Amino acid sequence: MQEVPAIIHWLQVSDIGTGIRESIWLFPIVETTHVLALSLSVGVLVWFDFRLLGLSMRHQPISQVHKQIMPFALIGFVLMFVTGILLFWSEAEKCYVSGFFRLKVLALVLAGVNAMIFEFTTKRSIEDWDKAPLPPRRVQIAGLMSLITWTLVIGAGRATAYNLF
Amino acid sequence: MMHALLPFFQWADQTWLGNVIRGSRLYFPVIETFHLFALTLLFGAVLIMNLRLCGLVMRSQPVTQVERDLRPWTLWSLTVILASGFMLFLSEAMKCYASEPFRFKMLFLFSAIAFHFTIYRYVVKRDQFNQLLSKLVAMISVTLWLGVGLGGRAIGFL
Repeated sequence: MQEVPAIIHWLQVSDIGTGIRESIWLFPIVETTHVLALSLSVGVLVWFDFRLLGLSMRHQPISQVHKQIMPFALIGFVLMFVTGILLFWSEAEKCYVSGFFRLKVLALVLAGVNAMIFEFTTKRSIEDWDKAPLPPRRVQIAGLMSLITWTLVIGAGRATAYNLF
Repeated sequence: MMHALLPFFQWADQTWLGNVIRGSRLYFPVIETFHLFALTLLFGAVLIMNLRLCGLVMRSQPVTQVERDLRPWTLWSLTVILASGFMLFLSEAMKCYASEPFRFKMLFLFSAIAFHFTIYRYVVKRDQFNQLLSKLVAMISVTLWLGVGLGGRAIGFL
């Protein structure tokens, strides 16, 4: 095993980490919640991204789709984040050395940055393109970036479990 | 009943495609990932539709409008899920034969699909459908699809 920082090792051998890893039921339950929460959060978020790209719900104001979908996406994100932390806790060393896991974290950060840019800058001019079936290019890019980064998060996350590299 | 299906599982296990997927380290994870992408899309679409049926989102849009918006994506993602799922099944058919969660998943999958294209379809194609019944139908739909997901995840664990 590759050398890992002390804190990673400490997480791995901690009572909670060991408890989750070695429990017959806990790990599968946490993992299943993680995946179901993912289909809740990203599953509804992609529809907002499709709206930004003019691919779906074109006649609904973007602000409406945003308002209706985000609460559910947020519930999913919270669940996903909490269970994700627990999963990491239980397999900290494996995750730390995994190239896929690093890619996943990177994609996650990019997804966050993209969402922040959209929320705090792009969205300021929403009145100009709220009802447009196809919003301006920079709004479309926000939707596309979200799709790409979340696809990477899911793909790299799934691949982490396979230990291919 | 499973016993009667044994020849089918044995056939599936020996198919050319099953062997090819089994013989590679890469194919299974890649197909599995597409399976996961498509199910995220489908589950999101089903959820939005069901929330609309319950009157919790997009109240200003008629049910039939939301259905029209979501339908193409729902059908495409379902196609990808079934195709990728069948490939995964071919590569480990005998494991599936012995797997309790797999039976659970198939039971829920066939029920979900049957429900989706009959009663569910009937309800989402109408704008003034009984609200209580709409909510009931939405609840059944979410439960069935959730059962598919739970069973699917459990195949890898049990």
